[in-house]
Amino acid sequence: MATLLSAEQMKQNSRAPGEVEVSAPTAWPLVLAFGFTLVFAGLLTSASVSVLGAVLALAGCVGWFREVFPHEHEEVVPVVLREVSIATKRRVVERLPVATEQVRAWLPLETYPISAGVKGGLAGSVAMAVLACAYGLLRTGSIWYPINLLGAVVYAPSEVPSAAQFNSFHPIIFFIALILHIVTSILVGLLYGAMLPMFARHPIVLGGLIAPVLWSGLLYSIMNILNPVLGSHIDWVWFMASQFAFGIVAGLVVMRQSRVPTRENLPFVLRVGIEAPGLMPPRENGEKRP
Amino acid sequence: MSSDAIAVQTAGVSADRTWLQTLHEWVTTVDHKRLGVLYVFYALIFLVIGGIEATIIRIQLMRAHNDFVSPQVFNRMFTLHGTTMIFFVIMPFMFGFANYLVPLMIGARDMAFPRLNAFSFWLTALGGTLLYFSIVGGSGLYGAGSAPDVGWWAYAPLTSRAFSPGHSADYWTIAVLVSGFGSIGTAVNLVATVLSMRCPGMKLSRMPLFAWLTLVMSGLVLISISPLSAAQIMLLVDRYLGGHFFDTQAGGSATLWMHFFWIFGHPEVYILVIPAFAFASEIIPVFSRKPIFGYPVMVGATVSIGFVSISVWAHHMFTIGMTSYSNSFFVLTTMIIAVPTGIKIFNWLGTMWGGKLQFKTPMLFCIGFLFQFLIAGLTGIMLGAAPFNWQLSGSYFVVAHFHYMIVGAILFCIFGAIYYWYPKITGRMLNESLGKLHFWLFVIGFHLTFDVMHVPGILGMPRRIYTYEPGRGWDTLNMIITIGAFIQGIAILLFLANLVFSYFGGSKAGNDPWDGWTLEWSVSSPPPVYNFASIPAVASRRPLWDLKHPEDPDTHYD
Repeated sequence: MATLLSAEQMKQNSRAPGEVEVSAPTAWPLVLAFGFTLVFAGLLTSASVSVLGAVLALAGCVGWFREVFPHEHEEVVPVVLREVSIATKRRVVERLPVATEQVRAWLPLETYPISAGVKGGLAGSVAMAVLACAYGLLRTGSIWYPINLLGAVVYAPSEVPSAAQFNSFHPIIFFIALILHIVTSILVGLLYGAMLPMFARHPIVLGGLIAPVLWSGLLYSIMNILNPVLGSHIDWVWFMASQFAFGIVAGLVVMRQSRVPTRENLPFVLRVGIEAPGLMPPRENGEKRP
Repeated sequence: MSSDAIAVQTAGVSADRTWLQTLHEWVTTVDHKRLGVLYVFYALIFLVIGGIEATIIRIQLMRAHNDFVSPQVFNRMFTLHGTTMIFFVIMPFMFGFANYLVPLMIGARDMAFPRLNAFSFWLTALGGTLLYFSIVGGSGLYGAGSAPDVGWWAYAPLTSRAFSPGHSADYWTIAVLVSGFGSIGTAVNLVATVLSMRCPGMKLSRMPLFAWLTLVMSGLVLISISPLSAAQIMLLVDRYLGGHFFDTQAGGSATLWMHFFWIFGHPEVYILVIPAFAFASEIIPVFSRKPIFGYPVMVGATVSIGFVSISVWAHHMFTIGMTSYSNSFFVLTTMIIAVPTGIKIFNWLGTMWGGKLQFKTPMLFCIGFLFQFLIAGLTGIMLGAAPFNWQLSGSYFVVAHFHYMIVGAILFCIFGAIYYWYPKITGRMLNESLGKLHFWLFVIGFHLTFDVMHVPGILGMPRRIYTYEPGRGWDTLNMIITIGAFIQGIAILLFLANLVFSYFGGSKAGNDPWDGWTLEWSVSSPPPVYNFASIPAVASRRPLWDLKHPEDPDTHYD
């Protein structure tokens, strides 16, 4: 509990002062400041003002020095005791203990690790790529069409490739599309993994339904800024389908991972890995807990 | 409820002093509380002066082809207004509150260096005095004084002898330089006080957020005022000793001044706004009846803001033609700073969420701050995007943006702080009805002025123009802006009247009128000269809560 001294304690405390020493008032800081200002003001007015300022500044320095050396000047102020009430003026309320069967929130004891999301993202990226290539074959007869569209993020809008170029293999564009696809899939997987504890019971709902819808909606709104070429050629039905494929595969992969205990309920010292014997009672009869 | 109490002393001074003795006491004081009051009093005087200058600017612009003042006087007005409000109003307000409150909040009897504290205050005060001495101190170019007219950025080459003969630019340089030394002194003192004067039990993790944020602000002062002072000395060398630092005709660089100025200028925004955050972080919890939401995150976010704020300065310079790499870097850092700032807004809202809100005047100003700071942040993000900035840099959109920050966020918090701590400082409550009238009038005036001001900016009205052609779509908007400025002026007059009348006739405050939780509310109002008869010891972030609620002290959860 806080230990501000009570008046009674103070009286009992032999060290409680009857008087207090505080720094004595002094004009020397003002003299020094004034002199210092005048030194500069002389630049604007007359050299004599600077000279006066220098003299005042010197006097201020000497006076200040003598104020603190060899002994600091202090004045003694008598302490006049007066009780000050420290009490709330507000209504005091009774605190009812919460019944043990009533809980404020249900927290899962186990959830999927974040790495499960990353694995799911990588698996989903394969499913998405297969579906996208299938779309390319059906639409233009070339699997390179969707890859070139994705890689077209590097093109300025004025340099849109021709239809023939879209259907042929370009190693640099392929490399860019591959990097983009893998990096984005890993990042989405990471996000998925981070969100998994919120939907610990139904990862497939999050991955296969909620996330693709949100992700597609986000991309729909910004595609023309991110990748104008892809934005102008995109088939949103197939795009959504590939998103769902990504999410469902990712969800399935996640479900196959083993769960780990959640750590929300652990004390901070345990979460940071500090050995703290006695903080948690030993498990009994294979008790399951975080 | 709790009967715990601490012993305090009523000031053991006699009431029959002459005014000369009283004046002598105040002039020679080294007491942090008196110096804090002096800072605030000084800032209030300059607030009125700066407000009059703003009114003159607005009257001049209220209609096309107006000639209320000459172009020369107009230039001086916006220069003095900007310089005054930044260096001699907002900064002294912040230093004043920090001076007054930090030792009380951390359980200390004074600042670490009381005499340095007095020296710093007088430097700041004399710097401001010197700035205004320029009006009468010389005949100047037009026979009407040498008031500076180079804008508060004082860009080169406008400050060179060729374009600013006489002493007008020198007055600006030297006044700000002198007050800058004062600011550095105060910052050193605050850092030392926070780090070494805390009472037993007050670990860094238990410090009131006010003290934490003051520490960060002081660090920023040390980092950012130094380059400004260096640049001003370089400018003096150019002007008095024939140097060429900023003389492009002789191998110098005007851009160098810009970098020096803005590497001070942008952290300066955070020097001003972080104490405003500190006010809000103390006021919002008390009037929400909840501890601050996410204390460690609030500290972390403030420290992050402190670090990031020193890497964003060139977003003020997108239009000078930097490389695309520089533009990209400063766009990114500007965007990044929105993250910790957003966290803070989230946490203030989190503090209010589910709380038992009390809409007293300090809280009203903080709620106004929350809303307006968000808008100011959003327009800041817009201007932080280089292509957008290229279109609107130097327009009234920018003026509206930073006034949203300086007035809508910072000044609102200052008003909130004055209403909150005035009872502690004077022992009297401010009149609540007048306070609420002040708030609502100021809100109306503020939004009328600065919401509308964005529009002429978007329509192409440049800042700092003396007048404009009719029929460009700016006329009505400028009239509305000026009307809003007058409403704000009336609100501030009401506020000043409230300060004066409540000092003499306000109801007695007692030591703890708001049912607060930090240590300053444990001593009498006004506090005795030594603050605490015995140095307190604390065991949580809310020591007074612990005393008032022994059945549920914070120490159970810390």
